[in-house]
Amino acid sequence: MNIFQHAEQLAWLIHKDLVIERRAKLAWTSMLLMGVMVAIVFSMQTAVPRQYLPGIAATILWLAILSAGMVAIDRAAIAEQQDGCWEALKLYPISASTVFLAKMTVNSIALLVLQCVLVPLFVILTDLPLLRHFGAMLLVSTLGSVGMAAVGTIASALTHGLRQRGTVLALLVLPLLVPLMLAGSEATRLLAIDDLGETWRLWVQFLAVFAVVFSTLGFVLFGCLMED
Amino acid sequence: MKGHEPTRFASPPIGTAAVGVMVAIGVLAIVKAPAELTMGDVQRVLYVHISVAWLSLVGFVAMACCGFRYLLTRQLWWDHWSQSIGEVGWICSTLTLITGSLWAHAAWGTWWTWDPRLVTAFILWAFYSGNLLLRGSLEDPLQRARLVAVLTIIGVADVPLVVMATRWFRGIHPVSPEMEPAMHVVLVLSMIAVTAIMLLLLSRRRSQLQLEHRVSELLTQAIE
Repeated sequence: MNIFQHAEQLAWLIHKDLVIERRAKLAWTSMLLMGVMVAIVFSMQTAVPRQYLPGIAATILWLAILSAGMVAIDRAAIAEQQDGCWEALKLYPISASTVFLAKMTVNSIALLVLQCVLVPLFVILTDLPLLRHFGAMLLVSTLGSVGMAAVGTIASALTHGLRQRGTVLALLVLPLLVPLMLAGSEATRLLAIDDLGETWRLWVQFLAVFAVVFSTLGFVLFGCLMED
Repeated sequence: MKGHEPTRFASPPIGTAAVGVMVAIGVLAIVKAPAELTMGDVQRVLYVHISVAWLSLVGFVAMACCGFRYLLTRQLWWDHWSQSIGEVGWICSTLTLITGSLWAHAAWGTWWTWDPRLVTAFILWAFYSGNLLLRGSLEDPLQRARLVAVLTIIGVADVPLVVMATRWFRGIHPVSPEMEPAMHVVLVLSMIAVTAIMLLLLSRRRSQLQLEHRVSELLTQAIE
């Protein structure tokens, strides 16, 4: 099978998941509502001196992305469990790595959509110039989304069909995402104070390394997770 | 089946006696060690803290190696090792947090603070706990072994990233505590003693898991 056939299968799987989401509105609506709620509730606590605001707001922004993003990934995985969808997916003549890439891409798109809502909302709520460097913010958001989606996709496959799925998923995902949360918050904080120097580049490189490491691990190990 | 004999180390008379002697030496050394000038007797907790912290870190890497070997060979023998190390590692990791907190309260005046090493230790504990929780949620031994193997490999890839990310923040945890030569000797003895206890626990638990597996195999054969 050549690379074009793999790409065609990948596009088909992504299309399938996006169509399901458009029709059923299972994950994204609850994700967006959750994100907005977390952002507004936490933003009430940001009545702090101006010099501390970038650090606190950046952390809250990434906490909102994490909590709402996990809702989206969890709901999408639950939808896959219903009516034997997961078992049917295993029967398709498609490699597990392609399934991983497709799921990760759809989850990344969901997280990017979430950030398209949350970042402007934070600009309104906190008056921080997060969109002054639009390209830099987009880069941080994209790398963060890919890393988070990679970990979320692996963890949701790991916890597929478990009795205490929600608890186990949270306990697996949160420690794994600590480095990403630190890097994302720091990169966003530096962006908010208009400091795109060496330190900012270091955190962005870290986000890129995180995304590459977990995407590669998922690509290689997803076959083990799809076995019967 | 390969690896289903209990290990020689686990045989009660030799193993327990050897560990007993080592533990006695370790306890005696900790009690007889010179008291630290500013912190007094509380500093003695450091001997246990360093020993268990080291073991929890080594245990996690060893668990990931066992997981990797399981995925390559598909022999449950490796999963038994992984489970034993996971359980003993969780004990070490929990003790690291408890003894570290006791020391921190005396040294820094707080039970817990934002510090790279503290965060890394907590993340390690969370990985061990997640590993145990995932194991407890799965009934099929083959599925359990496969999923836990993947989790440990993912986890061991994350630990260096946690260390790297948190090191870029300023920390207050001492990298290498300054000690008198006599204290260094006590530290080495206590590390040997704690390692011996954990190895004994590990060996016993692994033998128990293998026996459990053998019993379930015999039961299946009897039913068939």
